[in-house]
Amino acid sequence: MAAAGKRERRSLWIAAIPMALLALSCVYPIYFAVNNALKTSKGYILDRFGLVTDPTVQNFADAWGRARFSEYFVNSVLVTAGAVGLLLLLSSLVGFALAMLRFPGRRFVFVAILAALMIPIQVVLVPFYRTVEGLGLLNTRVGLVLAYTAFFLPFSIYLMTAFYRGLPRELLEAARMDGARFLEVWWHVMLPLGRPALLTLGILNTLYCWNDVLISLLVLQDRRTLMVGIAALRGSTRPTCRSSPPGSCWRRRPSSSSTSSSRGASSAASPWAP
Amino acid sequence: MARRTIGQAERRFAALVLLPAALLLLVFRIVPLLWGFALSFTNANGLGSADWVGLANYQAVVADEAFQDALVNTVLVLSTLPVWIMLPMLLALLIHQGVPGGRIFRAVYFLPAVLSSVIVGSIFNVVLRFDGSLNAALKAVGLHPVDWLGNGWTALLSLVTVYLWSTFGMSVLIFMAGLSTINQEMLEAAKLDGARFWARLRFIVIPTLRPIIEFVAVVTTIGLLTGMFGLIYVLTAGGPGTATTLPEFLIWLEQGKLNRPGYAAAISAVLFVLMAGVAWAQVRIMSRNADL
Repeated sequence: MAAAGKRERRSLWIAAIPMALLALSCVYPIYFAVNNALKTSKGYILDRFGLVTDPTVQNFADAWGRARFSEYFVNSVLVTAGAVGLLLLLSSLVGFALAMLRFPGRRFVFVAILAALMIPIQVVLVPFYRTVEGLGLLNTRVGLVLAYTAFFLPFSIYLMTAFYRGLPRELLEAARMDGARFLEVWWHVMLPLGRPALLTLGILNTLYCWNDVLISLLVLQDRRTLMVGIAALRGSTRPTCRSSPPGSCWRRRPSSSSTSSSRGASSAASPWAP
Repeated sequence: MARRTIGQAERRFAALVLLPAALLLLVFRIVPLLWGFALSFTNANGLGSADWVGLANYQAVVADEAFQDALVNTVLVLSTLPVWIMLPMLLALLIHQGVPGGRIFRAVYFLPAVLSSVIVGSIFNVVLRFDGSLNAALKAVGLHPVDWLGNGWTALLSLVTVYLWSTFGMSVLIFMAGLSTINQEMLEAAKLDGARFWARLRFIVIPTLRPIIEFVAVVTTIGLLTGMFGLIYVLTAGGPGTATTLPEFLIWLEQGKLNRPGYAAAISAVLFVLMAGVAWAQVRIMSRNADL
């Protein structure tokens, strides 16, 4: 028995070796990116993989200023903050209602929301774009906030409902006995109790919104969020791109390139206007 | 009488709260879904005029080689599903069993999951290039360099591997949460009775983890079907040829490059049907877990 335990301990030490390599692979690309971002164009050409010898922050300044990243950054921050705030507000309200309140069709509403979760953006790409356009929300940050909220809401509602489901309904009844209105119960009882779930949701939704490319590419064509801006810089690691005048590498709205006919060509990094 | 008014207030509040959420979902998801379905039966070309063409779009889709390739690619990608479940489960198990450095591994594995697919794609673009760091490493140990993103097979393999790399940390985390619900006393008792690692895994751990395995399987499948756009967009742009074109990317190409919304909508409808089975499974699992 003791021998078995010892053998397992040894196996764990052996397993730690590939696991450490995997961990290293998780860190390496980040090192690679930061290391190269600090190099000058010359330093990058001379030694692509070595440790930076002539650190410079010029690339960051270029990205921030010339490549309009300051503008993209503001867009990303505003849109993410708006969407996450709206998502937390709506999902905690709806989660409270679905988990605690009694009303006809409750189960149906819950299943319908889960079903809406199954409609991915890809499936509604064309009409979704037309809808946004028709509502006059194209190229507006409000439009993107609403779009994000609509697409990440079902999952948020699901999580909040499941969380509030675990709380006793007596909480609601006791507060009601004391004369609290439903909105007050939500504000004073449900919101504070829901903090762990709301925190998780806040983090997840921030990641989703901040990292999204596709929805942003559709809704905010003129103004761009950070991730779309970075995607448009594909191949920017080539030094020629760094030293060329602004505008030649970063076309703001290359709608003309959408006529290029080759499928799967490298020019895919351009927003399109149907 | 008093009871009745209480019930009414409850209903009124519920309706009031549900209304904005329902409206958002209706406008941005349900209506576009139905609209897209209608669009798939027309020859809409983005200029305003659209005539009913019946199933012509669907016939064209089925005959389209790019679509056939995308479908084959989807099947190939989905066939890797066992890896997506077993690798994170194994890693979570090893961390749970107290592998040396386990806490560091758990934190570091989550790192790629935080990165945007655009960032991941941009980094691996440089790493996997013919003159990139992976080939430099291969050359250093005396192996032949491979044009990872330039050949059909290796491009698809690279794409899937990079996507796996960028999401496995999340699955590890989910499995860790599931493992923490396992009855430790039962596990210890089995250990005292001489049950080896694999026996404990088979008879205690896997049965307990079943709901988690189902959940990860469904979430992963949906991710594989619809979550790879950003990575394809930055890493391979669907190429070389159609080697890494998946339906979701094809829809975007048809709509954007070739400006054929009716045709794109038909592909969307096919993708939706493909997803319906998975979606149904997910609704069942999720509504069971929420116990409603």
